[in-house]
Amino acid sequence: MTDSTPSENRYRHRKGLTAAALLMLMGALTSCAATPEAEKSTAPITLYSGRSEELIAPFIEAFTAETGIQVETRFGDSAALAAQLLEEGANSPADLFLSQDAGALGALSGAELLAPLEGETLNQTPKEFISREEDWVGITGRARVFAYSPTRVSSLPGSVADLVRPEWKGRVGIAPTNSSFQAFVTAMIQSQGEPATQEWLEAIIKNEPKLYEKNSLIVEAIDSGEIDAGLVNHYYLWEVASELGREIKVQNHFFTTGDIGNLLNVSGAGILKSSKNQNGAKRFIEFLLSKAIQEKFVSDTHEFSLEYPELSPEGVPQWSSIGAPKVDLSELADLQRTQKLLLKIGLL
Amino acid sequence: MLDTNEKLPRNLRESNRDNRPSTLLLLAGVVALAFVALPIFYLFRLAKRSDVETLTLLIFRAKTAEIIFTTISLATLVSLFATVLGLTLAWTLHNVKIPRNNLFRALVMIPIAIPSYIYAYCWLSLEALPRGYFSALIVLTLATTPYIILATFSAFSRIDLAQLEVAQTLGDNPLRLFTRVIFPQIRNTILAGSLLVTLYVLSDFGAVSLLGVDTLTRAIQNTYQGSYDRSSAAVLAIILLILSALVIFRENLWRNESYHTITSSSITKAGKKYTQRRVRILASTLIVAYILVALLLPMSLLIQRFVTRERALDLSNLFNVTSSTIVVSAIGAVLAIAISIPLALLSLTGSRLGKFAEWGVFLVHALPGIVMGLALVSFGAQFSFIYQTLILLAIAYSILFLARSVGFISSSISRVPKNLEEISSTLGKNKRETFFRVTLPLALPGILSGALLIFLSAMKELPATLMLRPTGFETLATEIWSSANIFRFSEAAPYALLLVIFAAIPAFLISRPDRQNSNRGEIS
Amino acid sequence: MTSLELSELSVTFGSTPALSSLSLNVKSGDFAAILGPSGCGKTTLLRAIAGLVTPNSGAIRFDKKLVSVSSLVLPAHKRNVGYLPQEAGLFPHLTVGENVGFGLSAGSRKIKNSERNERIREMLDLVGLIKLIDRKPHQLSGGQQTRVALARALAIQPAIVLLDEPFSNLDYALRVDVSEEVIALLKKSKTTSLMVTHDREEALVSADIIALMSHGTIVQSGTPQSIYMGPQSAEMAQSTGDIVQISAQRRPDGTVVSVLHPQPAQFDARSELGALLIRPEEIRIHDTDKNGSYQRATVSRVKYYGHDAMVELSLPGVGSSEQIPLLARVAGPVEYAVGETVYIEHHGPIRWVSKKVTDR
Repeated sequence: MTDSTPSENRYRHRKGLTAAALLMLMGALTSCAATPEAEKSTAPITLYSGRSEELIAPFIEAFTAETGIQVETRFGDSAALAAQLLEEGANSPADLFLSQDAGALGALSGAELLAPLEGETLNQTPKEFISREEDWVGITGRARVFAYSPTRVSSLPGSVADLVRPEWKGRVGIAPTNSSFQAFVTAMIQSQGEPATQEWLEAIIKNEPKLYEKNSLIVEAIDSGEIDAGLVNHYYLWEVASELGREIKVQNHFFTTGDIGNLLNVSGAGILKSSKNQNGAKRFIEFLLSKAIQEKFVSDTHEFSLEYPELSPEGVPQWSSIGAPKVDLSELADLQRTQKLLLKIGLL
Repeated sequence: MLDTNEKLPRNLRESNRDNRPSTLLLLAGVVALAFVALPIFYLFRLAKRSDVETLTLLIFRAKTAEIIFTTISLATLVSLFATVLGLTLAWTLHNVKIPRNNLFRALVMIPIAIPSYIYAYCWLSLEALPRGYFSALIVLTLATTPYIILATFSAFSRIDLAQLEVAQTLGDNPLRLFTRVIFPQIRNTILAGSLLVTLYVLSDFGAVSLLGVDTLTRAIQNTYQGSYDRSSAAVLAIILLILSALVIFRENLWRNESYHTITSSSITKAGKKYTQRRVRILASTLIVAYILVALLLPMSLLIQRFVTRERALDLSNLFNVTSSTIVVSAIGAVLAIAISIPLALLSLTGSRLGKFAEWGVFLVHALPGIVMGLALVSFGAQFSFIYQTLILLAIAYSILFLARSVGFISSSISRVPKNLEEISSTLGKNKRETFFRVTLPLALPGILSGALLIFLSAMKELPATLMLRPTGFETLATEIWSSANIFRFSEAAPYALLLVIFAAIPAFLISRPDRQNSNRGEIS
Repeated sequence: MTSLELSELSVTFGSTPALSSLSLNVKSGDFAAILGPSGCGKTTLLRAIAGLVTPNSGAIRFDKKLVSVSSLVLPAHKRNVGYLPQEAGLFPHLTVGENVGFGLSAGSRKIKNSERNERIREMLDLVGLIKLIDRKPHQLSGGQQTRVALARALAIQPAIVLLDEPFSNLDYALRVDVSEEVIALLKKSKTTSLMVTHDREEALVSADIIALMSHGTIVQSGTPQSIYMGPQSAEMAQSTGDIVQISAQRRPDGTVVSVLHPQPAQFDARSELGALLIRPEEIRIHDTDKNGSYQRATVSRVKYYGHDAMVELSLPGVGSSEQIPLLARVAGPVEYAVGETVYIEHHGPIRWVSKKVTDR
């Protein structure tokens, strides 16, 4: 009953064209790589995906076509899935967790639920996007950015610290309940300490920011003129435009190099310790890190390919050029402190 | 009178003077209670793990008081507005001569099929009012009014019109007639309906999150999602439970035990209706206005989204998802009915266990889906044979929505004339046979309405579904969520339309007048 | 064939007594009528016999076998009692045939399908409604419903049939027909039956024995004639027919003196004051005082019923101004005019009640 044939059917029928194109790419890839005998097992894997079905489903289809491994996928919100995995503990039916941000992976790592990664999985990715315990790996990069209306904003801020100035009073949108904002605050605490972060947050509140549920709502609000600017992730520019089906009057701006406002977070993946198919899970991560998939990923989402910076689609800068601050992504899991701070000053 | 040496026949039994429930029924009551207690137990277990410092910070701060105040005021105002609106609409449909009355009766009920998140989304698309408290008030009132209409319809149909005519001859004007004769009789039903509405608002997440109103449920969701902090979320959920307990307690205080509607079979039903032109125009305007805002507006927005979407329909997926939704919701409904019948019987015997279980049912109804999901994940993770199966999901539905059916069921069972049950016993049927051959068939229309209500509620459910569904299993609601979550509203439109259409079918069936009064009134 | 025996049966609801120490015997095959004003506990009595109400004390025996003693009871579904409540109480979700067959499939009465269908047809034939076998109850008239209810009760071949004013919901014209028909059926089947009614004619006409009930207990029982002719009190007399009371005194030798029975004796100090109960049909009216033993009276009103008439008379009393009212039932056409002087005699038994009745 739980075998959910509907979803399998759907993968087969939906987006057939995309899958076919991917298959051809994969053909080229696999012919070069010699596959060891051990990796030939086709036992199914169970994936908890915090990334959307629309994005991931074609990749899964291509993966199954290439390896013969069926993937049972549970789509959900990254944080919710992480919480579920934490609750399930050692009894989790999941083999693999795909998260939209480093924090959720860090939480699982902190609870010692993730298995260490090894070999090729790690070699391909720059060190800063691999957890300290080497139990999760970044798949794509997503930067915090200052989104603004080019018509109403003339002088751009050099740092997030500038947003406390009176000229920004009532003009900026933030999404304090959103995990991307909380990750940014966590990074700020990490790099500047809690007192400084609290001071900045309090100053920001005094400046009467508009509060939103989601990044996309901020971008829409900038476009509609409700606000002039906001703190969001860089790819919402394209996402909102595509949903609205038109050009939007919003642009991205990166602060000066090294500013915490340019935080480069990642979406990533980790294998559960309790997984009975570690090998299949590992092959899926490798698959996601392969160049063909990375290229598709990047063009679908406008996120950054961490391994292949040159794959950036038109209009999106390479991640190495945005001036991201040096932050230990493993530390982003310490949301407790962030939440306490946000609770204390009343943003939650 | 009794010879001392007369032998007592062995088949005599100690009489059951107080009508005490049978052991089987008590057992069923205990099982039902266990179902209800399950999420609460796991909730407390989760809360126990919480870190005291965060907890103190969380509870004792001005923002929490503010959130609680917002929650209470929103729930109170919505239930007040929905009650007034629902009562007016139902009274109008019942008492004013309006052409195509049955059609309108169905149309005012169908908004019950629209989930609050779809309402909120449509409201936002209109850009009529900014996000916030006021918008939430309007959206939630529109979404919950049908619950009152439903309760009122069935209450109205049980009023003996002969009484009204007598009251009129005694010189009561329509207003006095309503306050002195009608209202006292429908009062308990209305209270039960507005309790459901209050609990709906307390547990609603869709509307308040999209409209940005800080209620407890939203705070629970934020706490949980932001920091994977299950225990703080559980603590907030317990605060929510306490609030609901107060609401339920208040409803019980207000309930007037002395008014029992007459169950005689000689009730007069076909009454005179208002036919004055002015009244009819006013009434039609009101009804059409509600249907326009609560039904046609969101539907046309969905249709517009549907038409302007870019991608081709994935028919096989639509079909699969729809059938999965129907299957799991139906299992949930059947389960809930199986639990609520013994519960209703128990509470009708006046047993304390029954009362206790009934309160429990209402209490868990206030649990947001995410809390239910969390509690059942916590439970299910220890029992892998049931974890992430349709059964656990259906159990979640039945627990979550039991409150919507239990009132329906106990009132339809209590309306089965006692004398028919007695006759059955003189014809040699024991209690069990009498129940299955007389009581159950006669209460069936009400029980079916209860089942349909759970069925459509389960179809709309999202947060618990996301956490508890089998991996790879999608419902219409989760498909809407996965598209809307990445802002592909147009992609969500086909699923949203299907959801509303399929949930509208049970809503339509419930709205039919013959569903609300079972057929026993026909004998004169 | 079952006899019914009730001994010192008491039922209280809360603190309100409904039956108090009630005793009654009904012989096997008899048709008994319980006659009494509303609220006297008639329905509770039937429900106790049926097992729907548990007595606080006392015993009920069917054929000498205990079915209820103090709080030990045989549950209703094991008593094999046919019960016809005031409203026919047909199951609205079942057809006429299914209603009749309802009791034919339970536990000990398990019978074959063909046999069951045959019994249903037989019963419906008995009540003359075989054509309506597939109707639903709401498609039947009141009289038809009552007859179906009877067929349903009889189908289980009950030991005892209990009827709770089964005809009170019917129109008058229909009532007489249906009631005669039903009672005839019951008598034909020789089933012991107990019918509660407040219609004294119905009781007198149909019953083998009549039990008069008042304030939760049986005050008198016997054959219709003995109940009618020998009431133990004015109240009981009234429950079976019209009655006139006139003051009287009883002398030590047993002779009774009243305005209707003048005796040429003096007042005896040892005489007892009381009253006589006189049925109107026992008063005969004459135009002349033929042999000088009649009493003179004046016609004060005539109520004409067609088959007979009630003549209200007034009789001069002992004092000069005292007038004693009297009723006389006269068969056929009446020629008396108001104000006319007539002569009357009492032609019937002397029913003496000791208690002095202060009439009017």
